[in-house]
Amino acid sequence: MPIKIMVTCALLISSLFAQDQMAISTKVFGNVEIIKKKGSSLKLKQGSILSIGDQIKTSRGSFAAIIFIDDRSILKIKENSILTINGQRKRGSISKEINLQGGTLRAQVTDQNRKNFIVESSVSVASVKGTDFWFISDNDNGQDFVHGLDGLIALTNKNSGISVDIEAGITGFSNIDGNLQTKKTDPKILPEDEIDSKSKINSIEIEFLDSTGKKKKLIINYR
Amino acid sequence: MIEDIKIKKALLAVFFFFLSIMFAQRNIYHIPPANAQSGEDLVIKVSLLDIEKPIKGTLYYRSPKGESYLEIPFVDTGFNWEAKLPSFSLTEDGIEYLITFQFDNEKILSYPRVDPFNNPIFVRTVQEDNYFGEPLESDILILSPFPNANLNTDNPVIAVSFFNATEINRNSVELFLDGADMSSKYIFDGDILVYAAKGLRNGFHTVEIRLKDLDDQIIKPLIWSFSVKELVEKESNTISYFGNINSRLTAEKIVDSEINIAEFSGKFSLDAQWARLDNSIRISSKESIYNQPYNRLSSNLSFGRFLEVQIGDFFPQFTNLTIDGKRVRGLGLDVDFNWLRFQLINGELNRAVQRKSGINGAYDLIYDLTDNETDGTKTYYLDRTGFEFKRGIYGARLSTNLFNKVEFGAHLLKIRDDTTSVSREISDANFFVDSSIDGIISGNYNLNTFQTQLSLNNHNLFAPSSNWKGIKPQDNLIVGFNIGTFLDNRKIAIDFDWNLSLYNKDIWDGALSIAQLDTSIDNSLDGFIGRTYDENGDPIVSSSEISTDQIPFDPGRMKDIFIINTNMTPLIPIDYTIMKSSPLTAIINMPSSAFKFSIRGKYNRNNILLEYQQIGPEYISLANPFLRNNSRNITLQNRIGLLNQKVFLNIGFKHRDNKILDTVVNPLNTNTFFINATFLPGPGLPTFSYNYQSINKNNEKTNLDSVGSKIVDLREDSDATTSVLALTYPFNSGDVKNNITINYGNVINLDNFASKRNEAYFFAKTNSNILSFNLSSIFSSFLRTYVQFNRTSLEIPTFENDLFTKLPYTLTSLSFNINRKFLGEKLVSKSEASLLSSKGKNSSTLLGLRSGVDYYVREDLNLNLLAYFRFSHNKNPDENERKIDINASGITLTMFYKF
Repeated sequence: MPIKIMVTCALLISSLFAQDQMAISTKVFGNVEIIKKKGSSLKLKQGSILSIGDQIKTSRGSFAAIIFIDDRSILKIKENSILTINGQRKRGSISKEINLQGGTLRAQVTDQNRKNFIVESSVSVASVKGTDFWFISDNDNGQDFVHGLDGLIALTNKNSGISVDIEAGITGFSNIDGNLQTKKTDPKILPEDEIDSKSKINSIEIEFLDSTGKKKKLIINYR
Repeated sequence: MIEDIKIKKALLAVFFFFLSIMFAQRNIYHIPPANAQSGEDLVIKVSLLDIEKPIKGTLYYRSPKGESYLEIPFVDTGFNWEAKLPSFSLTEDGIEYLITFQFDNEKILSYPRVDPFNNPIFVRTVQEDNYFGEPLESDILILSPFPNANLNTDNPVIAVSFFNATEINRNSVELFLDGADMSSKYIFDGDILVYAAKGLRNGFHTVEIRLKDLDDQIIKPLIWSFSVKELVEKESNTISYFGNINSRLTAEKIVDSEINIAEFSGKFSLDAQWARLDNSIRISSKESIYNQPYNRLSSNLSFGRFLEVQIGDFFPQFTNLTIDGKRVRGLGLDVDFNWLRFQLINGELNRAVQRKSGINGAYDLIYDLTDNETDGTKTYYLDRTGFEFKRGIYGARLSTNLFNKVEFGAHLLKIRDDTTSVSREISDANFFVDSSIDGIISGNYNLNTFQTQLSLNNHNLFAPSSNWKGIKPQDNLIVGFNIGTFLDNRKIAIDFDWNLSLYNKDIWDGALSIAQLDTSIDNSLDGFIGRTYDENGDPIVSSSEISTDQIPFDPGRMKDIFIINTNMTPLIPIDYTIMKSSPLTAIINMPSSAFKFSIRGKYNRNNILLEYQQIGPEYISLANPFLRNNSRNITLQNRIGLLNQKVFLNIGFKHRDNKILDTVVNPLNTNTFFINATFLPGPGLPTFSYNYQSINKNNEKTNLDSVGSKIVDLREDSDATTSVLALTYPFNSGDVKNNITINYGNVINLDNFASKRNEAYFFAKTNSNILSFNLSSIFSSFLRTYVQFNRTSLEIPTFENDLFTKLPYTLTSLSFNINRKFLGEKLVSKSEASLLSSKGKNSSTLLGLRSGVDYYVREDLNLNLLAYFRFSHNKNPDENERKIDINASGITLTMFYKF
């Protein structure tokens, strides 16, 4: 009988944990730490399962990508970042709340119909209506930058309550003083995507002369 | 008085003939399956009550649209004989099959008993567990790697989310990576399935997830591919290989005969992306020089889908009426550009067999042909026997498909026996010589010793070098074409297939010359075939005579293509007299032509077929021996899905007769009406199926015939009605998943002339009644049981006390199977206990015990051991004595390794 009780308890406990599952890590470079809700710390590996309340810390030179299990939304976390994934599991979806204590992340959100993806820092809240953006939180200086890559993001300054929509190609700036500004994105300041850069398009250019002696260039793009 | 004795003798002969049939029928015991499942092999089981061991059992099968059969040998599994119909043969049209068993004494049993090749058993094919069109799709999300992703790592994480897939039975989930089952290695944590792959080779990889829903219905598998990056470029240079080997050893003792068989089979494939080589081999101890080959060896080299070269044993198909899957050993070529296709066959249908085994296997001394010479000596005639000629085949077909609208093809097939392939002299072949030859002691002799003995006694031997009495060498030439088109956006397909055959049943004497042709019918070398003369030497005018000037070629010059002589059928392919008055009729009714015209339509879930097929009485294709010539067939059939594909109806009518020639007075007509209804209300609910078939046979005779002074009743007008009801009911009892299948059916034969016939008339058709009950239970993924009960009641027509009567005969079988997995599914034990009881004029009971294990040593290596015992319990009614024997026992060891 005690064994039966133990097995039942184990199943119940595991099912409780199952109820908290939110995402799974699909790429990890360098030293990435995961701090569970109860305080235990683990090294994040490829295939690690992330639950509500888990905190992720990326060290210098590291990187992590996680994917949410309800809609395949992706979060790419660059080096020197700290964030906590929170949210609520509902029937058919998970509302996600990413608390970014500092650092840089890219969110690629697939579910465009429901406003259930929020990235929040100490200064700003980005409520996602669109699909793809960078969120850079400079916690030391109390300022955030949001670069829209695709779709629409509603960026709100928590201190002033001002809200703007960030479109693709627009960068939003929000600081602790309550300021919220937008400007055209300078591509040079965009962070490098660790995954995209590895699969970026490379080119080979071959110059040759045609029958009339005219110089032509053959460009072969490859990944 | 003498007349009475003759009649009694004749009746006795008839009695014994039918008695033999009766006993033959009781020996083969088979219950056709209610249906076949698409995508899965179908195992056909047969039990033989006869203690006599058959030489071989063969399962013939074909698509209902096909004309010819493919063959699969039955394997003795101890209690049953089993043959596995491959899943690829089970199309949506269903399948037709028949069973034959051949015994030592040249007795052949078949199922169905009467005219099996024209009355095969039809089994409907149902889709996989989910019957409703496309399988259900799951809501599983692929988390990693994404489809078609290029990865930098060779240790990717494979992950899928079941967050939205709430209706999935998670215990049913199986994961396959590149076809290998990884189900024991994945982790299912909550809503996430994760498998950490390690050391993946360069190139493309495929993940497949198979699963079922909570009702145990199969869900459409989730399949996607990815590739390991940076290695793709190298892929083009990669040659991969895979295959399997299978070895089987069987030792059996059945009554007093021992059978030991060793068989090895294997497949090996090399894939170089741009080309692929597939090899297969089967080597068996059953291979014998006395029979056609049992071993198989084949290589198939394909370059994309454009070119295929087959070497060894292969199974070519041109059309239904020419060659349609019969084995050829040789070379095959298939060049297919989609719009243009060329096929070539060059090989042999039969290999040369020099002799049969045993005494008199090669020679037969024919005493009746002994010549008494004038000098008092004798010349004995030693005939060659027991041989089979090498039968060569050469075929070519060119076909085209223009704009997906019109299809046209033309083909030529030439088959000829090679008379030089069989040697006259077989030095080690013995034959029996009795004591009737003066000076020679009765005994076994070979050719040399017999010749020596004859010489010593001043006798001679004549052993002809050709024209042996046995099988005659044959020649066959077939030419034909087919044309087809699609109408109304490919909803209607119209096809026409026409063939003409030339057949020579004896080519020992080679081809005729013009002069020999002139005298083939009459004896006058006068430039006319068939011209006769009156007593004055004047020609008698006849419309059937043919001038040799009309023959546009010298038959002798055609000998490389076809040997023309008096053994050719038909001598003249077309009726010249009808040709003059009605050319179209003459062409259509050419006795050596075969054609088929069909219209198929697909409208609103109706699949309609209207087909007319006529095979002339002299149409022969040696590459398709199962064609029934001298037959006309009309088929009208519709298969329809109703009520959102929950009800399927297959309804149709077929008429067949042999009234192609005007000379047929009493054609045999067969009218078949059939209806098959299947009701599939939904997943987890019972399914019903009802089959009804009514066959009327009549020969249009209404009066009795007289043969000599005897009056015989050759009238035929009978109805055979078959109805089968099947119910399948899935249900759960606690955690146990059960499935019950109940089949009930009967065959009733009626003689419509019964009231008008003599009481002694023998109506040789057996009524039967079948009830079967199957219960399969799944207790867990580790334990399954299967209980089967069958009862077949027969009413076998026979004579008792000179009166026609029907003997009851009942076969009852009960079997229980249990499959249990151990050691984490590494070991599977399979056990079966079965009881088969027959009650009738002679009663017997057989108890079978069978047990075996499958041991999966590794993922790629499987060992199987099977042992069985069969006990018989017979009661001798005369001596009232009961006897229990070990009727049969055996052990089989199988090893399977894939790489």
